[in-house]
Amino acid sequence: MDLSVTGPKEYITLYIGDFELPLVTQTTITLIVATVILIALSLAVSKRVAKRPGGLQVLAEKLVTMLYNMVEETMGKHNLKFAPYIGTLFASSFLCSLLGMTGVLRSATADLSVTLAWAIVTSVMVWYHSIKANGFLGWLKGFTEPIVVMTPMNIVSEIAQPLSMAFRHFGNVAGGSVLTALIYGALAALNNVVFRWLPEAIFDIFPPIFQAGIPAILSLYFDLFSGFVQAFVFCLLTMVYVGSACPPPADEAVPESEEISAEVSAD
Amino acid sequence: MEFAVKFLDGFESFVGVNFWTMIFAWCNLLILYLLMKKFLFKPIKNMIDSRQKEVDDMYSSAEDAERRAHELEAEYEEKISAAKEESEEIVRTAQRRAVLREEEIIREAEATAERIKERAEEEIELERRRAVNEIKDEVSSMAISIAEAVIERDISEGEHKDLIDSFIDKMGDEE
Repeated sequence: MDLSVTGPKEYITLYIGDFELPLVTQTTITLIVATVILIALSLAVSKRVAKRPGGLQVLAEKLVTMLYNMVEETMGKHNLKFAPYIGTLFASSFLCSLLGMTGVLRSATADLSVTLAWAIVTSVMVWYHSIKANGFLGWLKGFTEPIVVMTPMNIVSEIAQPLSMAFRHFGNVAGGSVLTALIYGALAALNNVVFRWLPEAIFDIFPPIFQAGIPAILSLYFDLFSGFVQAFVFCLLTMVYVGSACPPPADEAVPESEEISAEVSAD
Repeated sequence: MEFAVKFLDGFESFVGVNFWTMIFAWCNLLILYLLMKKFLFKPIKNMIDSRQKEVDDMYSSAEDAERRAHELEAEYEEKISAAKEESEEIVRTAQRRAVLREEEIIREAEATAERIKERAEEEIELERRRAVNEIKDEVSSMAISIAEAVIERDISEGEHKDLIDSFIDKMGDEE
């Protein structure tokens, strides 16, 4: 029995001299499928947005409300404009992980290229808003804080931030698929051992019955739960990083503190 | 430089970064972001907000209406109590006036009755006097004629008439 752990299949590869560029891979296909599904769902919802919602709209409203509440809690009311991006990121991530369950497609989030691309978007947003708030020099000066000696550490942590996000997401999903493959292999081996006594003609066509059931339960954890948690964690980290780069405006900060003091006095 | 395109050329490495896939992921994310924002998040959020606003408006207008109703209620109660007081006052005044009028009427009636009674008594007195006088005259003439008849002789009418008149006067006074 051979069990190989590979990356996504390369469907179309372009060779320029010695340089190899896989143009269309399993990941690409998964991304396209996920995008098409999400756009189709969005259009289906938006086509009949009514004051008295139908079933699909109720679900969409519930999810959108949860999303906006979470963004407001994590990033503050002034950062609600990021909610659509967070929602898009979450939906993409979750769906791209789930599509690996089809067997034909491979989870796009099990490809480091995709998670790294998303993590870099988060970092770019953080840098953009930091520079916008403090100016370019102010942003550079931020690396020397709290003391100058910390500068290399700060630079490393700035680079490590997207890398750790990307590897965390990639590792969980890819690791899940590897484990699933291993378990399938182990169950097939168990099948061979247990049913060796059967006549050869029957043994050759005998179904690997141990592979039914157990992987389904494990799939609940590795694909469904892990996919959800990783999408959630990725979005949460994005919200935290971008949110800390976009502190509440000064004129909003004052009434907020007054509100708190008012609440305290009310208690 | 040598160009070549191959199909199904094996697998990418398990842990590897393909820059082309990254660009593809970015484009997908951007397209998804724009479309989902336009077709999902914006309309749904607007709908939620507008519904929320509608509900808030409904509640505030209901509160307004309730407050106005309470104000009107208080106003009407005040008016009703004022009207009740006024009516009581009117009834009291009317009663007082009626009592006064009653007394006045009774007084007038009593006065009128008194006057009528006095006049009647005066008339009676007058009648009585006249009757007495008539009777006196009649009695005197009767007495004369009786006396004439009894003592025809020796009595001159002139002499005795005075005598008899004085007698009758005494009689009348004694009455």
